Amino acid sequence: MKVAYYPGCASHGIAKDVDIATQLIAKDLDLELMEVDDWNCCGGGFMDDKSEEIHVALNLRNLEKVKEMGFNKMATPCSVCLNSHRIASDKYEKNPELKENVDKRLKNADIEYDNSVDSEHFIWTLIRDVGIDNIKKHVKKPLKGIKIGTYYGCQLLRPYEVMGFESPFKPTSVMDLVAATGATPVSFPLKSACCGFPLMGSNPPVGLKMADNILGNARNNGAEMLVHPCSLCHLQLDVTQLKIKDQFKQDWTLPVLYITQLIGLSFGYTPGELGIGKITTEYLKERGFT
Amino acid sequence: MEKKEYDAVILGGGLAGLMAANITASAGFSVAVVSKVFPTRSHSSAAEGGIAAYIKDNSDPNDDPDFMSYDEVKGGDYLVDQDAAELLSAKSGEIVHILDSWGAPFNRQPDGRIALRYFGGQTYPRTRFVADKTGMALLHTLFEHATGLKNIDFYNEYYVLDIVKEGKDVNGLVAMEMKTMDPIYLKSRALLIASGGLGMIYKHTTNSYINTGDGYGIALRSGVALKDPEFVQFHPTGLYPSDILISEAARAEGAILKNNKGERFMARYAPHKFDLAPRDIVSRSMTIEIREGRGFEGGYLGLDLTHLGREYIMDRLSLAYDAAKTFSGVDATEEMIPVRPAQHYFMGGIDVDITGTNHDLNGIFAAGEAACVSVHGANRLGSNSLLETLVYGRETGNAMVNFLKSHKSMESNSNVDSIINTAYSYIKRETGEHFGTLLNELRDIMWDNVGVFRDQKKLEEAVRKISDLRKRSLNMYVTDKSNNYNTEAFNAFETRNMLDVAFAISSAALNRKETRGAHYRDDYPNRDDDNWMKHTITYLGDNEIKITYKPVNYTRWKPEPRVY
Amino acid sequence: MEEKEITVNIKKYNENDGAFWKSYKVKADRYTQMTEVLRRIKTEQDPSLSYRASCHMAVCGSCAMKINGVPSLACKTMAFKATDEKNEINLESMDYYKEVRDLIPDIDTFYDRMYKALPGLAADEEVIAGKAEQRMLPEEQKEVWQFQGCIYCGLCVSACPSVKEDEKFLGPAAHAKGYRYIADDRDTKKEERINTLMDSAWRCTSCYMCYEVCPQDVQPVIAIKKTKSYLNDYRGPETDVIAMARKHDNAILELINDTGKIKESSLYLKTFGLGEAIKDSVNMLRSGKIKYAFTKDNDVKNINEIKKIMGDKK
Repeated sequence: MKVAYYPGCASHGIAKDVDIATQLIAKDLDLELMEVDDWNCCGGGFMDDKSEEIHVALNLRNLEKVKEMGFNKMATPCSVCLNSHRIASDKYEKNPELKENVDKRLKNADIEYDNSVDSEHFIWTLIRDVGIDNIKKHVKKPLKGIKIGTYYGCQLLRPYEVMGFESPFKPTSVMDLVAATGATPVSFPLKSACCGFPLMGSNPPVGLKMADNILGNARNNGAEMLVHPCSLCHLQLDVTQLKIKDQFKQDWTLPVLYITQLIGLSFGYTPGELGIGKITTEYLKERGFT
Repeated sequence: MEKKEYDAVILGGGLAGLMAANITASAGFSVAVVSKVFPTRSHSSAAEGGIAAYIKDNSDPNDDPDFMSYDEVKGGDYLVDQDAAELLSAKSGEIVHILDSWGAPFNRQPDGRIALRYFGGQTYPRTRFVADKTGMALLHTLFEHATGLKNIDFYNEYYVLDIVKEGKDVNGLVAMEMKTMDPIYLKSRALLIASGGLGMIYKHTTNSYINTGDGYGIALRSGVALKDPEFVQFHPTGLYPSDILISEAARAEGAILKNNKGERFMARYAPHKFDLAPRDIVSRSMTIEIREGRGFEGGYLGLDLTHLGREYIMDRLSLAYDAAKTFSGVDATEEMIPVRPAQHYFMGGIDVDITGTNHDLNGIFAAGEAACVSVHGANRLGSNSLLETLVYGRETGNAMVNFLKSHKSMESNSNVDSIINTAYSYIKRETGEHFGTLLNELRDIMWDNVGVFRDQKKLEEAVRKISDLRKRSLNMYVTDKSNNYNTEAFNAFETRNMLDVAFAISSAALNRKETRGAHYRDDYPNRDDDNWMKHTITYLGDNEIKITYKPVNYTRWKPEPRVY
Repeated sequence: MEEKEITVNIKKYNENDGAFWKSYKVKADRYTQMTEVLRRIKTEQDPSLSYRASCHMAVCGSCAMKINGVPSLACKTMAFKATDEKNEINLESMDYYKEVRDLIPDIDTFYDRMYKALPGLAADEEVIAGKAEQRMLPEEQKEVWQFQGCIYCGLCVSACPSVKEDEKFLGPAAHAKGYRYIADDRDTKKEERINTLMDSAWRCTSCYMCYEVCPQDVQPVIAIKKTKSYLNDYRGPETDVIAMARKHDNAILELINDTGKIKESSLYLKTFGLGEAIKDSVNMLRSGKIKYAFTKDNDVKNINEIKKIMGDKK
């Protein structure tokens, strides 16, 4: 099946491995990812601090491209991009005054849009369209015995009235996917707390502390690795991990994977093929995954 | 024990108390506001529909303050003191302006002026509103304004035990900090009771859990009279089965009451005003419909909003929609909301004059639902309770300021210790009656015997049973001995207050042998102006209620039949 | 009406015994609110149980607590819906606030935060004197009312991750309250309000927890975002947080305006400067991430569309 695919800036940048792994497992699952034509940054989490109008208009431009491609929905691997597009559609529908101003901006750029395109997270596509059972069928190397902290973060779940896929307080999607790989999902209290990434542009000490809280909380609850669903959590929890370690003088690191990287491992891909970083690769080697 | 002195102590942090606090503090006097809850939790926040006001140049062109006063007098079945009603109407526009200048976000007309809508019993539309959370919006506005004033200290989560007096003079009150159970003596020359209503004495009430009639009980025990306590309002549209208020705004915006045959039955009882007749009439009509088998199973009727359209309902009646959805599982845009009458308001209260001054003790004042200024008479019109709290909160504040200018502080504090000892005696006792037992019995008696329809037999039984409960309550005890938020102890103190005021209500209801406004006697179904055009004044004696009378103050409107 | 028996587990607390769980069996039907369940327990089973409750219609904000781990108002929670598969409900005091007694925490810190947001309208002198009438357009009233809806329940602060880590952050409710006055054109202290709130606003991590738990749908995070949008006009004290927010903001705007996308590495350089970037590059080398730092994505081809959408920045 063909899926309109919005990678988002991060997964075409420092979180490139998110995109690499997602593309790989999509192929195995017969999902043909069609990258959204000439997509632009959604400005998620930043642009609406600047101007609600510009934020909504930028997101609707992407959705209009999806419509032109003949799709009525698009999938993204990034929770922030997801949240950004869904909030934009929601505000556009519910706030007539804002809509009027957004329409002016869109018209200025010769764009006409009817708010008909839905945005979803790639893991929703996996669960709804591919199905957990189908994913299980592709598992060649079950990750038996590995305890994986299942992290959701904030933007995938909240606000529920806009995101709508699963309970914001008792989510199960990441847990179900982790279980499908044969690994043991480990729930922990901070599973839907913020990773602190949005604070990195204004108040990094607190942003890093939040990341440290997540990693520590998962670890204290028995997780030996952490899986998450978001390109920006990836920057915060994986890419920045050594900085966190230094800052808070921890004597440990917690290997972190994007959800499709974990699925990719169970499908038999190597850490190298999945673009997995050094810390996680080394740990996987210890546990016999090369 | 801690002791603090203020010029004025105000019992209650709702609209009336805060308005008076603003006035008194702005005049340069020190004020303590004592409340058993943080002020925004006060029951004022639960007022939904709006505040009635005649605003010059922003009212119906045919309206004027006299029509407004007339509506109040007739709505109150001629037990209204007409000078009080005239003052209420005359100052209504001013009060709305003040609240607007303090930031109240009233709904607006397209040109930016304050919007208005019809409410029950109004000749012309006068109700100003903030969606259907007007009370909450006004309370927050007033509270936020008051917290900016220097002379006001807030004692939040302090429970007031009793009044301190020297002979006939008030000398403050004794309260207990709920967090620590430590008593505190707040000495003052002036004391304002603005502690709100008493719904919790009834099994079915729209009122907050905190509405336990504390001010009435405290007043009665200090020799202060309650006026017209037999007049208890039952609101027609309590949500079934939780008794959450569905605002009169719903009917004001066009909702229709229907029985199980789909009939708009109010056409039979109030051929001109239909569903927007005063509350006593609608509640009685509904009770008759249910009694005669035209209600739905479980004992309720339908409030139909469906013809108003989803968008309109969401914009104007969102709280009613949400309440029906959350608490009864009904989507009001598609089905009728299940409703039945429930206790809602107490027209009676501490006997005060038009300035909010009581004359049984020197220095005691009352305002809001705690007071009976006699603007509501035998039945209050919708949108007039918020108005009364603010207009008379202000008048009473001014009266306190005048009082303070001419009265000096007194020495001694004769009954402080006995107040504290009595309170602690419940906690020290190891056996006896539990408050919950007494309270649940009281709530049943009041609902069954002192409700919408009353008669000699029911009322005699109520008085006898409540008298027994009061005797049993002397032996009340508290199992919890802890020193932090011992809420069981406070519930016991509240129960004492509830029993005292229920005693006054049932005795006065038994005494008044006529039907007037909310007081309906099956055995005396007509109004009797020759014998009963007078206020009941009740004092608490030694396990009895002593009754005297005061005349009703007429200015211009003679009694006439009350037809809607 | 059909009733069933449910089990209510309550985490009680007192100074002497500390925290402990106690279970109660209560009969309820599908219309029974949790505040009513608590009242029944207190009047019929355990008079010592302590909790706050007042209006039972979600406007007074008294009965905030955690119900099955979720920050909730007890009155707005129906017992049947809240029971889990074992027919049980767990009640605990809110997170973050100091425990005092059973379901009653000390939330003074919440009130203090609200006062810091300068609540109360500062109207024009003429209006206060009664000489002028204030007008307000219906749309403006709607915006003000949206953020005025806060009922002081404290749930948002109890659930906020930034509040827990950053004492300079005023918290969601205070920001909703503060912005409510910024949005009110009747007010005359707009600049002072923005100055009071700007630094704190940039301490919010935009996680939407407050939006989720707010029983009045106030959406405090949106109020914070709207406050942040005044950054360009802000002339108050230039704190570290504000200075960095400016750099970061400008860099993003510039990148999106020029390329239609965010390039994390150039954004990083512009926000944090070369020194910090070099330090972090070392870490990225160590973790094998440096190769992605130089990934070059295509710019948006039709960049004119972006520029036209961005147009006037305000």
